[in-house]
Amino acid sequence: MTMIELKHVSKIYGSGQARVVAIQDINFKIAPGEVALLMGPSGAGKSTLLTIAGSLQKPSSGEVLIAGQAVSKLSTRELSQLRLSELGFVLQAYNLVPFLTVAEQFQLVDRIKPSGNLSREELEKLLKRLDIKQLLNKYPNQLSGGQRQRVSIARALYPNPSVILADEPTASLDSERAVAVGQLFQQLAQEYHKAILLVTHDQRLETYADHIYQMLDGKIQVPAN
Amino acid sequence: MFLALKEIKHERLRYSLIVLIILLISYLIFLLSALAIGLASQNTQAINSWQAKTVVLNENANLSLTQSVLTKKDLQDWHQNADTAYIGQVPTVAKKAGRPSVSAQFFGIRSQQFIYQKQVLLAGKRARGPHQVTVDVTFKQKGYRLGDWLKLSGAKGKYQITGFVRDAKYNIAPIIYGTLPVWRKMRLLGPNVVASAVISKRVMAYHHGNAKRYPIAKLVAKLPGYHAQNLTFGLMIGFLFVISLMIIAVFLYILTIQKLQNFAVMRAQGIPSRVLVSATIVQAVILMVVGVALALVLMQITLALLPAAVPIAFPPMIGLVTTVGMLLMGVLGSFIPVRSILKVDPAAAIS
Repeated sequence: MTMIELKHVSKIYGSGQARVVAIQDINFKIAPGEVALLMGPSGAGKSTLLTIAGSLQKPSSGEVLIAGQAVSKLSTRELSQLRLSELGFVLQAYNLVPFLTVAEQFQLVDRIKPSGNLSREELEKLLKRLDIKQLLNKYPNQLSGGQRQRVSIARALYPNPSVILADEPTASLDSERAVAVGQLFQQLAQEYHKAILLVTHDQRLETYADHIYQMLDGKIQVPAN
Repeated sequence: MFLALKEIKHERLRYSLIVLIILLISYLIFLLSALAIGLASQNTQAINSWQAKTVVLNENANLSLTQSVLTKKDLQDWHQNADTAYIGQVPTVAKKAGRPSVSAQFFGIRSQQFIYQKQVLLAGKRARGPHQVTVDVTFKQKGYRLGDWLKLSGAKGKYQITGFVRDAKYNIAPIIYGTLPVWRKMRLLGPNVVASAVISKRVMAYHHGNAKRYPIAKLVAKLPGYHAQNLTFGLMIGFLFVISLMIIAVFLYILTIQKLQNFAVMRAQGIPSRVLVSATIVQAVILMVVGVALALVLMQITLALLPAAVPIAFPPMIGLVTTVGMLLMGVLGSFIPVRSILKVDPAAAIS
C-alpha cells in the first residue's frame, strides 16, 4: 500500500522558445511509516515536485495519487479538503499563523475540520513528545527557531494526515537540532504510520531516510535505495 | 470571526489606529449631519410647527414672504377656515436698553386663527393687545425677561413681551409674534392689504388676482441661503462617506497585501478561501461598529457640552441612518481586497 505515488509526472511552464521543463517523468511512491528524502541542488525542480506532490499545483502530464485519490480529477474545493485532511505541510517559513498562539493554531484546525483530528490525549502526548507543551500560550514570534519547527510539525500532524511534506525542515538549525529533527521524523513516521517526504539539501538527514531521491535538471537521477 | 478577532487582539495598536480614524470620520459625519439638521430646522422650525402644507402668496413675490403682499381683492374668493391663517412678515431688529439687540422676524397674526392658537408657551401667556408680543425662547437665552418692553425697528412705540414660545424660528431668526395691524404699520401698508401670505394645513387650490397657491416645500426651498446651505452640507457628508469607504478599502487592502504569505500558507494547509474572505469582512464590520459606536458616544458628549445657541440637532433617525451608512461603507470597502485573497496561490507558500 502506498500513501503517495507520482506516476510519470512532468511539469512544463510556458511554450515555444519560453518553454521550460521544470520536472520530467518523475516516478516515486512512499508507503506509510516510510521517510523519503528528495535532494538536489537549487533549481533541480525539488520545490516544483513538492508543490505537485502537495496538490498545490497540477502536473502538465502524469498522475498524482494521494491516499488512493487521483488528484487531477479533484476540483479546487476538493483539493482544499484533501490538503486539510490528508496532507500535512512543514514549510521552510514555518506553517504557523503569526497572530495565533500555539494552542489557537490547533483550535483553527478544529474550527475548519471538526472531526478526524488527533484526540485531546493524542495531542497532549504529541506535545510532550515534541517538548512544546509549555509553549501553548506563546505566539510564534515568542518561540526560538527550534521551538517553531517543532510546533510546526505538531500543527502538521494535528489533522491526522496520511502524508507529511516538509520543505527544508532543518534549514537554519545547528547540527544537534538537525539530527534531532531527522530522528523525530523517522520516529513519527513509524509511530504514527505517516508517509513523509523531506525536501532538503541537508545530507545529515540521509541516515533517517528509507528512500533517497537525487534530483538534477528536473529528473530523478538516483533511484530509490 | 475566530481569525478576525484573534488578529485584532494580537495587533491591538495597528487596529486601534484604524478604529481611531473611523471614529474621527464618523464623528465628523455625525457633527456635520447634526449641524445641517440643526440649521435646516432653524430655517423651517415655525413652518414645521404649524404643520403647513400650502401657502398663498403674491405670484409676483418670487416665493418670498418678505416680498409678498395680499390685498382684499386678491383674497375675495378665499374661504377662511380653522386650518388656515393669515401672516404678515417683516424682518426687524428688537432692542432694549441693557439687552443685546436681536435680529428677528416679526410675524403679524390673528388671535382667532390657528397659528396664534398653536403657539407653545414655555413661559408667560399669549399676547392680547396691539402692544403685546410673544417671542421665541432665543430672547430668553439672550437675557430678555417677561414684561420687557421692546423697541422694534420700523415700528413706532414699544411692545411688551408677554410670553416665550418654542419652535418659533424662521430663516434662522427668532420670531416675534404680534398683530397684523402692527405689521401693516411696519411695512407702511394701507388698510386694503390683508397679509403677506395665507398658510394652510391642507392641500388646496387657489388662484385669484395676484394670489396664487404654492406647496409649502417651494417656499422653504426659496428661503435665502437654505438650498445652498443644505447642498453644501450634503456634499460634505457625501464626500465624507466616500472618503470613509476609500480609507477602509485602502487599509484593508494594505493589511491584506501584508498577509498574502500567511494566506498562502493557510490555503496550502487546506483552509478554504471563504474562511479568509469572511474573516476580512467580519474584521471590517468589527472595526466599523467599534469606531462608529465610539463616535456616537463622543457625539452625545459634544451635544451635552455645546451651548444652547449652537444650531445643532441629532435626532435618533439621523444617528441610525448615518451608522447604517458607515457600516455599509465598511462592508463595501472590505470587498476590495477580496479579489486579492481569492487570487492567492497556495503554491507560493513553498518558496
